[in-house]
Formats: sequence, structure tokens, C-alpha cells
Amino acid sequence: MRIGVIRAYCKKELLDIYRSKLILMVYIMPSMILILFGYGIKLEVTHIRTLIIDNDQSKASYDLVSAFEHSKYFNSEVKNLSENRALNLIKQDKKDLIIIIPEEFGKHLLKGLKASVGVYIDGSFPSRAKTTENYVDGVIYDAIMKRSGSETESRALITINARNLFNQSLRDEDMIVPGLIGLVLLVVPAISSALLIVKEKENGTIFNFYSSPVKKSEFLAAKLLSVLLLHVINIFILFLWAIYLFELPFRGSFLLYTFSSFIYIIISLSIGLLVSIVTSSQIVAYVLTLIITIIPGFLYSGMLMPISSMEGESVIEAHIYPVMYYTHILYDVFLVGDGLSASKNLLYLLILVGYATILLTVGSLLLKKRIA
Amino acid sequence: MSAFLAIIRKELLEFLRSYGLLIVVLYSFTLDVYIAGNGINLDARNVSVGVIDYSPGFISNKILSDLHYPQFQEPVFFASQEKLNLAIRNKKIMVGIVFESDFEKRYHNGNNPVLNLLMDSTASAQSYLALNYIQHILMRFQDTLSLAPIEIQIHKLFNPNTSYSYFMALAELLSIITILAVILTAAVFVKEKENGTWDIMLLMPTDAKAIILAKSLSQVIIVMIGTFICVGTVLFGIFDLPINGSLAVFMLLTFFYAFTSAGIGLFIASVARNIMQVAQLSVLIMMPLLFLSGAWTPVYAMHPILEYLSIISPLRYYIQGSESVFFRGTALIDLWEYFAGVIVLGGVLFWYGFRKIGKLF
Repeated sequence: MRIGVIRAYCKKELLDIYRSKLILMVYIMPSMILILFGYGIKLEVTHIRTLIIDNDQSKASYDLVSAFEHSKYFNSEVKNLSENRALNLIKQDKKDLIIIIPEEFGKHLLKGLKASVGVYIDGSFPSRAKTTENYVDGVIYDAIMKRSGSETESRALITINARNLFNQSLRDEDMIVPGLIGLVLLVVPAISSALLIVKEKENGTIFNFYSSPVKKSEFLAAKLLSVLLLHVINIFILFLWAIYLFELPFRGSFLLYTFSSFIYIIISLSIGLLVSIVTSSQIVAYVLTLIITIIPGFLYSGMLMPISSMEGESVIEAHIYPVMYYTHILYDVFLVGDGLSASKNLLYLLILVGYATILLTVGSLLLKKRIA
Repeated sequence: MSAFLAIIRKELLEFLRSYGLLIVVLYSFTLDVYIAGNGINLDARNVSVGVIDYSPGFISNKILSDLHYPQFQEPVFFASQEKLNLAIRNKKIMVGIVFESDFEKRYHNGNNPVLNLLMDSTASAQSYLALNYIQHILMRFQDTLSLAPIEIQIHKLFNPNTSYSYFMALAELLSIITILAVILTAAVFVKEKENGTWDIMLLMPTDAKAIILAKSLSQVIIVMIGTFICVGTVLFGIFDLPINGSLAVFMLLTFFYAFTSAGIGLFIASVARNIMQVAQLSVLIMMPLLFLSGAWTPVYAMHPILEYLSIISPLRYYIQGSESVFFRGTALIDLWEYFAGVIVLGGVLFWYGFRKIGKLF
């Protein structure tokens, strides 16, 4: 390898990326995905549009209504409508939740008979429906217990003392943003490195490489280094978004974050390299890269589903893709803060290094300096 | 008119003969929707549980026997707090339960028994749900109902089993329709630019307007057929998605919407010089629109600024309208808002794209 050649080639590539506007994708896409998903996915449920139909109008039912009105989760409105009219409001997507307090509700409670409350939830968004259900359960039981439960009875109940580790206030951002960084740094570098090589194939300029005295290693080094240099800046940009825009805590070591991200970008670039070897047109390379990176990036990042809850073949698949190892370290540096003192982080870091070496070697072996 | 039909036929033939594109489109409408519907599940399922039991173990074992499949894995016992902490930190265990030594005594004496939970809440949605499941288990265990004689009859409308695949598969289909309608329309024009057949197109003895309309219509037809295949095989066939409204209404809404997307496609086609730029521009323009228009989170739950902005997004009306047709079974009259939104905003977009590409003729 000759340093001078690599430097010249790198300069050419950087200019090319700049002039062909690929630079826009390199810097806009990661931030865009992070911000869009960070704001666009809200699993936390508040402001549930609630309609309460109070057919009882007793002290007990007023208590229940005010319990809903005082909860920050519900935007409740009390109205007297027929059940059918109310259900139509859900159908028209005007309300998410309807609570119907039947007549005699207060009387039944006083007599110690079983009282019932009718609850209708719009199930179109399943995760919201489930959370709504739990909120409703909680509010109603709470209100009733306050009324009827005596001191000794409530003391006898088991109370739960739950400590939410790593994400005390259960913020969506804390859960999604590290996973998104793992997704973005897998997808975007892969696309840019795939395109950089396939573009030469498509335009025919790859023959310059075939016929010039540039060695394969120099060609590869120049191509990958130039993209790597550009994407390393993304590591810091994404970090700044996470800390200042999404206000994540950062409990681990910045060095570990930077180093593991660096290795991970190399892995992603190598995936792009492999794609560019099997494809010959830019559009196919683009689509293929998207397909093989986005879905595992989403599923195995632990962002939407913890790895420990997976079953069957998805456990194996999760361990095959590099995503899981990187996001584990990411969640550690952002939320946990054990760093390399935890042996698992060290192991995963080594696995990432192993991945990078293997993929890079395979890629460079498969790249041929002649027409296949 | 015959020229118009001839162009449509030519474009459809060309599409069928470009195998790469055909495969990508088919993949998107079938396998991709299947994977999304099958893979993403935000429910707390198969949660790993770790236990430290300092109590004699009668009550604790009874409680633990209620933690079972499908919500929880078999509890794993740990000897000390450190080992449990380590397992939680290594993401082996999501929920740690600690029974203190005086737990059972306090339970029998009615003296504030406390159950300690340690939860890994990096996946906040699941840990919240897991906490709720445990609360329910405790409630049932202590027969809280006898203290608070109340029965809550919960009806989850439209999706009683809260199946995530219903929702995810439909959301993915809507995204695919959006992205493909844009890319395909733009590609049909840009391909001519790229291959140098643009000038031949200009020489055709046909009105430029007819060419543009025919070309966009041909791509809309492809998207409609793809949608039909997807709804028939994946949504109805595999996921057994119920449809509470009418399929015809959904297809009609999709038809108008496909023209909206085609309008954006026309605009992109007028700017882009090659297919690569088409792909990049489409993703850059459509992804924000898609996510901020309520594909994953209802619009009213988002930031107020985004909520107002989404009023001018045709996707908002399309996504809400489609969800209403499939899940809520809204009557046709109540859907007018969505149709109006898609048609008005779509009309403006298509007209704009039409004029923009028309300048190139």
C-alpha cells in the first residue's frame, strides 16, 4: 500500500461525494431518521380522549368521574348520550375511550353488591389500547378502594415497591433513541459505501481501476476510508441530538461510545462492500442494502422488543446480526453506565471487532480486479 | 384516446418485463408486509424473571406460580442481590422480584407486606406492561375483588385480542403504497431521461398532457393491483385481518391517494436526473410525511406543532381514513372528511407536479 496513492484517491472520492450531492444523504439521513422516529413513535399514552356517561349521578359516581378528571392521562368529558351515539363517536375517531356508569351504581356499592362499569376502548392502536386498559383499571380500583376499603383492610394488601432501573421515569426517548442510533449507523454507511463502488460499475469508470496500477488494497482503503471519515462525524452529531434534543442521560464512557461506534461503522461499510460486489446497478444496490439492514436493525436492536423475551429462531437470528451487540453497548453507555467493567460489554465489543475483521476480509477477498 | 391507452399498455408491459423492479414491488407488497406484521410486537411477552426469596416460601411460591407463559418465563432463582443485579445489568433478566424475610409474617399479620421489584426499564413499554401484569396477579391472588366489589367490563372494540400484527401489517401496507406510488411514477419518467428516450417521447404525435396522464395512470394501476394482492394474500390470507368497513371504499380512497403520491412523483421526476436521485429524494420527502402523519402514533398524541402541520399532509387523511375503514368500520358518510382531505390536497399536489413536469415537454 502506498500512502500517496491512497491519499490522492481519498481526495478524489471526497470530492466526488461532495459534488454528486451524496454528502447530503450522508449527513441528512441519519439525523432525519433519528428525529423522525424519536418524535414519531410515542408509546407513552397521555391525553386519552375520554367520554364518561354518568347514568347514576350519585356521590359514588361523581367520585369516579372526578378521579378520571384529575388524572393527567385522560382528557375527559362528561355527557349524557345514548350508548349507540357514544359508540359512533369512537367509530368516527372522535373519542378513544368511553366509560359508562350504569344506574344504581352508587346504591349497589353501598349495599356491598357487585357494581359494574362498562368500558369501551378503541382497539385500532393495540399498544395504546392495552395501556389505556391498564390505566382505566388502575383509576377505577383506586377510586373504589378509597371509598370502601377500611384502614386495616388496605394495610393487609401487598404493596408493590417497584424500582425502574436505568430509565426511572419510563421515558420513550430513553428507550428508542439508543436503538435508533444503532439502526442509523447500520443503514446509512452501508448505503453510501455500496453506492460508491456500484456507481463506478454502472458508469463504467470501474475500468479506470481495472486498468490502472492502483492495487486492490489501495482502492478499497481509499473508498472505505473516505466514507468512514465522513461517517465518524455522524457519531458525534447523533450523540449531540441524543443529549440535547432528546435529553438522554449519558452514564458511560464517551471513549467506549466512540470506539464501539467506530467499529460498528466499519461493519456497516463492509456490508455495503459485500452488496456492491454482488450488484451492478445503483438502484438495486440501494434497495438491497435497505432490505438487509433496516429490518434486522429494527427487530434486533432491543428497541421495540427485549432480546431476553425472544423465542425460537428469532433468538438465533438476533445473535447472528451485529446489531444486538452494538445496541447492548449503546444502552449501557447511555442508561446503565457499567462500561468495560461488565464482562459482557467487553465480550460484545470483541465480537464487534471480530465481525469487522471477518466482513472486511471476506469483502476484500471477493472484490476482483477484473471483469468477472 | 387510443394513443392514451397505447401508452398505458406500453408502460405496463415495460414494468412486467423489468424483472428487477417487478421482484422489488412484489416483495414489498407481500413479504415485507408479512415481516412487519409478524415481527413487531410491543406487548410484554415471555418476560424473563429473576427471584430472590428470603421468606419461608409458602406465599412467595404461590405468587410465583401465577407468573407463567405467555407473559412470563419460568422464574430463575438467585442466591444474592449482587447476582440478580448483575443478571439485570447484563440484560439476562428483565424483572427481579425480591421477597424480604419478613414478607410472609407481615402478610399474615396484615402489616403492610411489600413486594420489591427491580425492573430493567430500558424497554419502557414492556416493563410498564410487565408491572401491570404483576399488579393484576397480586390483585387476583388476594381477591381484592371481595374488598372492592366492582366489575369492570372492558370491551376493546375492533381488535379484541389486541393483535399487533393487524396494526403493523396495515401500517406497513400504507407506507409501501406511499413510497412505491412516488418512486414508480418518478422512475417512469426519469428512466426515459436516463436511457435517452426522452427525445423520442417528445417526438411522439401525442399531446404532452396525455403522455403525462397515461404514464401516471399506468403506475397508479400497478400500485392498485399490488395493494389488492397484498390485502388478499397477506392481510386477509395470513393475518386474518377483519375489515369492518367496505373494501371497495378502501380501494377508492387508495385510488385517489395513489394519484396524490403520483403528483409528488411527478415533482421528483422533474427535478431528478437519474433513478438514484429518485430513490433518495423519495425517501427524504416521504419518510417525514409518513411518520408525522400518524402511521405509528395517532396525530393528536404528537407535539402540537406537528399536529397542526399534519393538517396539510394528505397522508394524514389517508392513514386515518384507511384505519377507520379497516378497524372502526366507519360509515361512508362519516368518511367524507378523509376523502375531502385526500382529494383536495391530492388535487393540488398532482396539479403542481403535472405543471412542473409539463415544463419539460
